[in-house]
Amino acid sequence: MEERKALIKIKPKSYADGEIVKVDFMVMHPMETGMRKDKKTGQVVPAKYINSVKFDYNGKIITSMNVWESVSVNPVFTIYMKVNGAGNLKVTFTDSTGEVNESSIEIKPKG
Amino acid sequence: MKSILKITLGVALFTSLSYSSEQFAMSDADRAMYADLLDANPADMMVQDGKELLSKYGGGDAGLAKFLHVSEDKLPAFIAGFPRYLPDFKKVVGLGQVAQALMVTNGNKAFALKDPKMFNMVAYIKSIANDEKINIDVNANQQMKDAYALGEKTFNERRGGRGLSCLSCHSADVVGSILRTQPLPDLGVNNSGGTWPAYRMTKSSLSTMQHRFQGCMNNALQAVIPLGSPEMVGLEVYVTNKAKGKAIAIPGLKR
Amino acid sequence: MQRRDFIKTLGAAAVIGAVVPAMSFAADAPKGPNAFSYKQALDTITGGKTPVKSEKIHLKVPEIAENGAVVPVTVEVDSPMTESDYVKAIYIFATKNNNVRCVAMHLTPANGKAILGTRVKLGGTQDVAALVEMSDGSFLVNSQSVKVTIGGCG
Repeated sequence: MEERKALIKIKPKSYADGEIVKVDFMVMHPMETGMRKDKKTGQVVPAKYINSVKFDYNGKIITSMNVWESVSVNPVFTIYMKVNGAGNLKVTFTDSTGEVNESSIEIKPKG
Repeated sequence: MKSILKITLGVALFTSLSYSSEQFAMSDADRAMYADLLDANPADMMVQDGKELLSKYGGGDAGLAKFLHVSEDKLPAFIAGFPRYLPDFKKVVGLGQVAQALMVTNGNKAFALKDPKMFNMVAYIKSIANDEKINIDVNANQQMKDAYALGEKTFNERRGGRGLSCLSCHSADVVGSILRTQPLPDLGVNNSGGTWPAYRMTKSSLSTMQHRFQGCMNNALQAVIPLGSPEMVGLEVYVTNKAKGKAIAIPGLKR
Repeated sequence: MQRRDFIKTLGAAAVIGAVVPAMSFAADAPKGPNAFSYKQALDTITGGKTPVKSEKIHLKVPEIAENGAVVPVTVEVDSPMTESDYVKAIYIFATKNNNVRCVAMHLTPANGKAILGTRVKLGGTQDVAALVEMSDGSFLVNSQSVKVTIGGCG
């Protein structure tokens, strides 16, 4: 399993229980289409792209995505979620070559 | 073949410039949409990587502060004054050169200045100064005065096949005109000094100011000046000084 | 050919390139491993139902994208996002890409708001479309044209 740099950002930084917050998830990934030729070798670079992203909030999948190669390199996905108690938001993402990774952030409503 | 490509590019650049007023420009609404992307800047991940690299190879913020002979609480303001003259180096240096020396001091082999890992590290180090105002002092000493003068000379000098200089696209009288849908920016108003290193959307990667200069030189058919050379550091001094007093916000996000 | 003429010829070619910024799609463009048309995508998802064009879908894309590699797309759907009435799925399509599919997002009421934001690659000037499946099984669609140019310097 290759470790990929990924980041989850929640906006606003401070939020109350019940508030709807913005969640940005981003990952460093080449998102190869399988159609691009390597400039040096002239060979087609094999396809390799994020194909699935799942958002798990306290053990419940609140959002899942199928993703294809038309999404930009180093992809960013923005969703919203309703804060419903303290806990953990875990994002599990896989790519078309079978790489599986996860990233998570603590959900800590104020008050 | 490469030279043919360069000729084509040069001619395209030249014709675009001369017909710039007739070209369509991106609307303000479009531009605002791109500006919004700063909210979730992929370079945030690279800055994070740079932080890990600094801690692994340079003793983190504390190691850096010690190396620069400043206390950790003064570190942000000190970084906001780069490039600066450092007696240890006996010359004016950018953050990349500092990072290299720091790595060596810590018993590591230094990354090349053009290594993407070095870009990440430089971006992190500069981000330590986020929200600080650029406080570069180009009159601090003779070395800084010289670096500024060399930077100004390099900025204004017409070089290469088309006789273009940095000034050709960034002098007050062409700023704002449209080159291939994009307005030519005023490097001071635009806060170049406070927003590089930045994520470049056209390259899908993080780049430093000096590396961006190299891209400009390449496009303008000029011989490319090496990273970290006196001319390059001088250019960074000169351009950074245009944004003196503006707040540092790293990583930037550029087209 | 004299060098000067040679440069002139190249210059003319470059000028054409400069005044026709929109990239065109060649009919014989190579097909990638995931070739998938807009029609195919719609049929697969809706099972043949015709989606209704709806202003409930707010699709935000730039009018002119100066770089086809990173084109911001945001889809926001008017919906109360309650257990009985919510947006089940949002699909983003680049209608003329080799594989039109970009993202298929499956939502739940726990999202609170039906919004999907991302950045896509566009192989050339084309419509970006958002298809939305509501919790009652109906399909809505909206689209917007994006002019892709090669802009800026370097």
